[in-house]
Amino acid sequence: MRSEPEVEQPTADLSKTYDAVIVGSGAAGGMAAYVLTKHGLNVLLLEAGRKQPIEKELKSMEWPYQHPRRGEMPPDDHALTHNEYTVRPRPYAKGMPYNHVYSYVQGWGGSDYSKNIVVDEKDNPTTGTPYAWVRARLLGGKTAIWGRLALRLSDYDFKAASRDGFGENWPIEYKDIEPYYDRVDLTLGIAGMKENLPYLPDSKFQRSYRLNKGEMMFREAMAKQGRVATPYRAGVTTDGIKGNKYRSKCLGRGACNRRVGGCDIHAAFDSPTGLIYPAFDTGNLSIRTNATVYEVTVDKNTGLASGVSFIDSVTKQTYQVKAKTVLLGASTLETARLLMLSKSTTYPNGIGNSSGHVGHNFCEHVMGPGVTGLIKDLVGKPHTLDDGRPGGFYLARFRNLTEKNPNFIRGYGFEGESGQGMFPGHAFSTSGFGKDFKKSVRDHAGAFISMGGFGEVLARYENYVEIDPEQKDRWGIPVLRFNYKFGDNERKMAKDMTESAKQMFEDAGIQIVGVDDEVLTEGWSIHEMGTSRMGSDPKKSVVNQHQQSHDVKNLFVVDGSTHVSAANQNPTWTIMALCWRSCDYLADQLGKGNLA
Amino acid sequence: MSIEMKRRELFKFAAGSAVAVSAMRAQSPHLFFTPDEFAIVDELTEILIPADEKSGGAKAAKVAVYLDRELAEAFDDDQRQKTRAGIALVDKLSMKMNEVGFLAATPKQRVEVVSTMAGDEEKPKTPEEMFFHEIKSAAVRAYYTSKIGIEDQDYKGNTMQMKDYAGELPSGPALGNAGSK
Repeated sequence: MRSEPEVEQPTADLSKTYDAVIVGSGAAGGMAAYVLTKHGLNVLLLEAGRKQPIEKELKSMEWPYQHPRRGEMPPDDHALTHNEYTVRPRPYAKGMPYNHVYSYVQGWGGSDYSKNIVVDEKDNPTTGTPYAWVRARLLGGKTAIWGRLALRLSDYDFKAASRDGFGENWPIEYKDIEPYYDRVDLTLGIAGMKENLPYLPDSKFQRSYRLNKGEMMFREAMAKQGRVATPYRAGVTTDGIKGNKYRSKCLGRGACNRRVGGCDIHAAFDSPTGLIYPAFDTGNLSIRTNATVYEVTVDKNTGLASGVSFIDSVTKQTYQVKAKTVLLGASTLETARLLMLSKSTTYPNGIGNSSGHVGHNFCEHVMGPGVTGLIKDLVGKPHTLDDGRPGGFYLARFRNLTEKNPNFIRGYGFEGESGQGMFPGHAFSTSGFGKDFKKSVRDHAGAFISMGGFGEVLARYENYVEIDPEQKDRWGIPVLRFNYKFGDNERKMAKDMTESAKQMFEDAGIQIVGVDDEVLTEGWSIHEMGTSRMGSDPKKSVVNQHQQSHDVKNLFVVDGSTHVSAANQNPTWTIMALCWRSCDYLADQLGKGNLA
Repeated sequence: MSIEMKRRELFKFAAGSAVAVSAMRAQSPHLFFTPDEFAIVDELTEILIPADEKSGGAKAAKVAVYLDRELAEAFDDDQRQKTRAGIALVDKLSMKMNEVGFLAATPKQRVEVVSTMAGDEEKPKTPEEMFFHEIKSAAVRAYYTSKIGIEDQDYKGNTMQMKDYAGELPSGPALGNAGSK
């Protein structure tokens, strides 16, 4: 791998008019930069955070005992807990005595390696209903630590409204996005195994990760019921990416699961090495970090977007930059915030919001329910190398495909794994002490299997975010107020997740040792979507099928906020495929003079 | 031995006095624990996770050293005081059961003290049972993140897999006509 390019402030010339300015550098912003620069456009990418020396941060191979606190962040830093999200008044960090307050992910092991990646809640408050909002402000955004499960949606999702009568269909179908999924697969790399499932389409897979003994046993038991537990479909390159000098293929070190996330050899996709640095190498990309955009500016004469205003997050000085097109990829919630903040005489309701749907139809995945079991046949067996994978298995959706569940609509899948990890978590619940205790911990290592569900949260108009009239963030920018709650369908689905998980383990001959039936706080999945949804009707949607604002033709929203429904698949790959499709359209339209 | 005993008794009764605590710390080679507290934690965690034919125990893995540092750094003073009080309970229970403090007790007596402390592990109720839960969790955390503890597990990961990844590759689709029935 070559060292990364110098991609800092000096490359951004704020006096010129760019073909496109992109807000945000995560999966969406990175993809927009990649595609538009390949089309030869002159692009400026703005990122609110700084550029992190990520290899130095992650130290993926460091053993816990090589770290003074065994990988934990400093003792005066605090991670919000499930209980605190529920009981503490908002903003959560207000009045807390700690040096820094982070979202719950910093409560996981290895938090010292990600403490400079996720935001400090003290600087970035929220108000309203409880919401566990995980944000990462750095070049690459949340792709620096994402969970790597890379799934496709299908027409079961795009046409879900036709199937069960709830909500809206997407303005596209699978055949529209399929070629773009293919391009994302081939450009970034994805590991997995073909299963020929119409409701979970196969990708252009590289070499698959493998299943360990417990997972194979579970897969075979599930196959008898017509359910599929497939090797984790990971947005990780196992064979390498030709033509990308910034990434290595996966070496199976397993650090991705021992930490909050992140890959210091960039085998797991991240936006900087996968998209931004290659875009930079075209010579068409300028980047400015520490640039927090607070407004999309408007040309009063044409009603078009004229560029953006941003605040330097270090010096707090404000700047304007002009562009022929503006693309928002700030993340679902930040993008909605930015649209609503961009009020003018032309757009008193916020830019692109004539429908009044910006901030609404907010959806994600409900999680929490899960099960842990013991595979008795594996107790006391010689230990094998089981980890070194970005994930274990994915159990594909099985509800509301052919049958109609009487209690809820839509579906859910499970992420799970078996096998030995570095730390024997079961030691905490192994009773007794002394030599017998120690032997029992050793004998049981690798003999457990567990899985947790991710279910579709319905996109409902009444679930929304808005601008708080009083609360501001560290930079004086008004923050989001949440009005968002899981509903009856989510609760019933979550109950079924627990019941079905127990049943499947029992059917597979796995002894259940733990059951989780509690639904975690809204936001826990870090899969927020839907605040600027796509559609063909400008009265009921914010952007069209090309993620182009119905109201402002040179304004595009290219992140998860445009998703019409959450489906139950992890959204990152769909965000990038849609963004690619929209950027092809944008480049074509700009070339034809249709966006001026 | 008798001088030792008297010193311990003094500390026991002085517990809670800030002056006495800082005086003890000044004498202590440890960051938070007094020498006796350290010795009790060192012995106690070794009883929880002992050396055996396979690997060293908590002492060899320097569990007490790690916990000492962790407590010295802890943001919340409550955590330090709870641990200090818990250690005092161990000594008190030993006095009650054996008429000598924990460190002066025989190895067999110490194990009996720990067994009594363990009580009903599923539902800890008494202060002794609560402290057993706390110190066992702390020992598990410190031991199994140490080099000795990780090696005890025969953990084979955190290594470069140059050819194939761990595990097996399922052969072909699990279902012939998946999803179509």
